[in-house]
Amino acid sequence: MALDPAFVDAVRRALPADAVLSEPEDLRTYECDGLTGRRVLPALVCLPETTEQVQAVVRACAARHVPFVARGAGTGLSGGALPVADGVVLSLARMNRVLSVDLDARRIVVQPGVTNLQVTEAVAADELYYAPDPSSQQVCTVGGNVAENSGGAHCLKHGFTANHVTGLVVVLPDGSLCRLGGVAADSPGPDLLGVFVGSEGTLGVAVEITLRLLRRPEAVVTQLASFDSMDEAGGAVSGIVAAGILPAAIEMMDRLTIEATEQAVHAGYPQGAGAILIVELDGVAAQVEEDVAAVERICREHGAREIRTAADAAERALLWKGRKSAFAAMGRVSHSYYVQDGVVPRTRLPEVLRRIAELEREHGLRVGNVFHAGDGNLHPLVLYDERVPGEPARARELAEAILVACVDAGGSLTGEHGVGTDKACAMPLMFGEDDLAVMQRLRRAFDPDGIANPGKVFPTPRLCGEVPGPYRRHPLEEAGLAERL
Amino acid sequence: MPSVCEVASLAEASALLREASARGRTVSIERAGGEVELRTARLDRILEHEPGDLTCVVEAGLRLSELNERLRPFGQRLPLDPSGDPTVGACLAGDLSGPRRHRHGTMRDLVIGATVVLGDGTVASSGGKVVKNVAGYDLAKLFCGSRGLLGLVGRIALRLSPVPEASRALRVRSGTLQEACAKARAIVRSSLEPSALDLTWPGCDLLVLFEGSARAVGAQLETARSLVGGADEQAWGAVDDCRPLAAGRVPVTLGSIPDVLPRYERAVACVGAGVAHTVAPEPPDPRDPVEIALVERIRAAFDPAGVLV
Repeated sequence: MALDPAFVDAVRRALPADAVLSEPEDLRTYECDGLTGRRVLPALVCLPETTEQVQAVVRACAARHVPFVARGAGTGLSGGALPVADGVVLSLARMNRVLSVDLDARRIVVQPGVTNLQVTEAVAADELYYAPDPSSQQVCTVGGNVAENSGGAHCLKHGFTANHVTGLVVVLPDGSLCRLGGVAADSPGPDLLGVFVGSEGTLGVAVEITLRLLRRPEAVVTQLASFDSMDEAGGAVSGIVAAGILPAAIEMMDRLTIEATEQAVHAGYPQGAGAILIVELDGVAAQVEEDVAAVERICREHGAREIRTAADAAERALLWKGRKSAFAAMGRVSHSYYVQDGVVPRTRLPEVLRRIAELEREHGLRVGNVFHAGDGNLHPLVLYDERVPGEPARARELAEAILVACVDAGGSLTGEHGVGTDKACAMPLMFGEDDLAVMQRLRRAFDPDGIANPGKVFPTPRLCGEVPGPYRRHPLEEAGLAERL
Repeated sequence: MPSVCEVASLAEASALLREASARGRTVSIERAGGEVELRTARLDRILEHEPGDLTCVVEAGLRLSELNERLRPFGQRLPLDPSGDPTVGACLAGDLSGPRRHRHGTMRDLVIGATVVLGDGTVASSGGKVVKNVAGYDLAKLFCGSRGLLGLVGRIALRLSPVPEASRALRVRSGTLQEACAKARAIVRSSLEPSALDLTWPGCDLLVLFEGSARAVGAQLETARSLVGGADEQAWGAVDDCRPLAAGRVPVTLGSIPDVLPRYERAVACVGAGVAHTVAPEPPDPRDPVEIALVERIRAAFDPAGVLV
């Protein structure tokens, strides 16, 4: 079914001539996001430059029940920006201006197409920065960050996108404009701002975003500790948390990832280590100094073989370079890999890591572990060779088994990559029918016709088959000892 | 006469609301107004607390003081400091906070999951009990500030903070709001990291709180004093805080405070959050009419019989 010509005319009238793409070769660019395994060619791509143009497109979609998918830079890893066939992709890439900065209020107002890093660049001269730092921050857009409630390595201390958005102007799925929050997130009613952030483009399109900025800390110290085993490193993480220290980041890498990264970028990571931790502390100098000493002591107590401290910005950048290029480095040791994103309570890290090792053996595949240990956010990289028959399917099964292990340990299906299309069918692992039905009620209150990013977040029979996924009660819940949250 | 019902479980709350929906009786949660007044005082358990995870799951009727009392032996706390001693559920549904929101945020920043009972009796959970989680809609945040009009918040999962070793405050007096704002600006532009930065009207006082290790707090207090003067404040939070009386909240910045605060009899501005709590006159609803209409649609979806008042 092609688009109604009257609809296409209405859209073309509202937008500049070069802002509407309909040729297959132009549409191809938009057929997938960072989850490249799933591709759908949209019917039309719109590149609005103003809020009015976004409204015009959404109104035209609403009038004819045409589905639309908002898109930033397309770096998302869960297929949240996967187009709908016969639908519209609304790229916000051309809405890329910083609208205003208030240094005293520590707020910046940006359009959705501004990249994450551009926010910090816009205020760096004034000693301010924007805290959430997804690995793709050089290219990913603030609009996409709002849709996904993006995290990053430094969210442990400073929080996620939702904690830094104080105001939004959104185009609702009927094309109307709504202002939520502003310089303050406070509202005399329910926190619509809070629920909009992370709603994966299903409740509307953010066209203006007010962000909280932080002052550059007086001191930043990055430490690298190497251990013989993941168990020891995991114990050190729990020790740091239990001691009441709140680092800006605690990252962990396993042997496989350390070796691959070292070959790729020569970050100077200790060879032969079973695990490393990168711990970054920031804040006022006197506090950081004490915390650095305490972290060092705790790491030694848990068997650290070597602890290095980055003495300057260049050394710090090198320590982080290894961590930030870990995914890419895996390309050197494996033909293909699948990045999983799950969360476990911090205290359950060691047992879940052991379970992942068991699953590796059961499935006959290797898994590289590199993750945000401080907040229990795992990113297992399932390595496989897509040329070997059966391996892609086995990799997929292994990745799903890891998710089940995370949820069973009291964790989550996704810490920062989102549900999108990738995990919609896995939602029943974590939520019951009523939970999902109530979320759908909210969705319909925003979008009665279901035209904003349909097919994402929630399991549908078309996507997942008629049989709903297996929602399994937690053993404690079965025993009546705990109720699910 | 309204009947008062102290529910002992979410199942009881669900049955009560289902029944009210079927019979068209109005229900008010933790306040007068409905034909049935639903109270949460018996929902006062700590269901889970995992010290190593810095998280806990509590029932909504638990008093904040009781929670923090029980967390203290573990060196942990929920870093919310509203006036009085509200329940955790009231902190969420009423969006209550105090000076420490400057650093720790409000309930929307601390809640990681919730189980709610909608107006029609449906029990639903969202979020979880891990600090990082983006699976599904964050209904716990939606219920922040919902004031009992979408449903009952029954269970709440929270992220906790370590109790700091030391906590010291500075009171800086000024003659005018302009002068107080200039001093606040000096703090904001410095690399100091206060836990609270409040500005009062008509007092024109700046209250700055530092928390952390004893040495770091002492160093910060000295730096702050050299920047803006001031004296040690012992009765932190007890003086001039008009939040309990405040009827309104208005957005403010250091640029707008000298114009905005004098419109009110009393006010206290939380500088970092960009908001002032104001006492008389009551400010108009600052919300976009489109937002108000959207809230009504959500109410209709969560409480189709309209029992919650």
